Amino acid sequence: MSASPFEGVLSMLIRQRGVQGCMVVGEADGIVVDSNVQVGIQSNVVAALAAALYRKARLCSAAAGLSTVGFLQLEAERGHICAIGRDGLVLVTLAEPRAHIGRIRGAMLESLSVLA
Amino acid sequence: MRTHVAEPWIEAPLQTFVDEAHALFALLLHPNGQVMGQFGFTRAVDVMAACALAAAIHASAGELGKELDGKPFREMYHAGRDRQIFIGDVPTTQQQFVFLTVFDSESSLGLVRIYFQELCELLEDAQPPVMKQAPISSTSLEHDLNRNLAILFGRAPRATDGGESSLSLS
Repeated sequence: MSASPFEGVLSMLIRQRGVQGCMVVGEADGIVVDSNVQVGIQSNVVAALAAALYRKARLCSAAAGLSTVGFLQLEAERGHICAIGRDGLVLVTLAEPRAHIGRIRGAMLESLSVLA
Repeated sequence: MRTHVAEPWIEAPLQTFVDEAHALFALLLHPNGQVMGQFGFTRAVDVMAACALAAAIHASAGELGKELDGKPFREMYHAGRDRQIFIGDVPTTQQQFVFLTVFDSESSLGLVRIYFQELCELLEDAQPPVMKQAPISSTSLEHDLNRNLAILFGRAPRATDGGESSLSLS
């Protein structure tokens, strides 16, 4: 069985400090394509909701005349959800509050080409 | 728009699903085709047709799953051009139901699967104690199919005890 084309990206992201999980999700259906998450994280639930959130943000941005969404970050009391998308796929990263979002952002933007 | 149900305990779980998943249509039925609750349909004949087809698809897929995989397929999904359909098995401890929902691009398969799982849990918690049931004959089946349709479309009063009045032996 061949490895997923997203395995390298996900392995690189999960090694970032404070990252609890990362996944590639279909934007339209919210189904996980590939994931690398810590035990206890409901990846299916996070994936579906994050994909819906990203999709709404993309539509909102387009409606406001702001063009494409570059990087979406949700800051919550106990952590962050970051998402970037391309060609119908969304890369979602779940991180703790102590995570260095700048590095995660950089790594995710670098990974964007893999989604194409 | 509100859900319409044949038994009151179904209303809250079904309404929660519809609200959360942004479904266009939702239908909860017995595997025999008897409707228990619906959302989005405006004509009884459409509910009747959808229930008959959903029950048939569920039965066919169940047998196909047994042939192919040794167990019935529990969920089915079909994506149309604009709308998508999801049919799932709702196995509560006391009864089994079939659930059908139609949604568009406002929702997604992932969201529908999450809220379908939640619906199953809410129905499990809300279900009333099991009632003793009479054997189903062709007469009682037809009577029950028509009774629930009439309740849903306001042509008959709903049972207030939460039970299945015409099937129960009291």
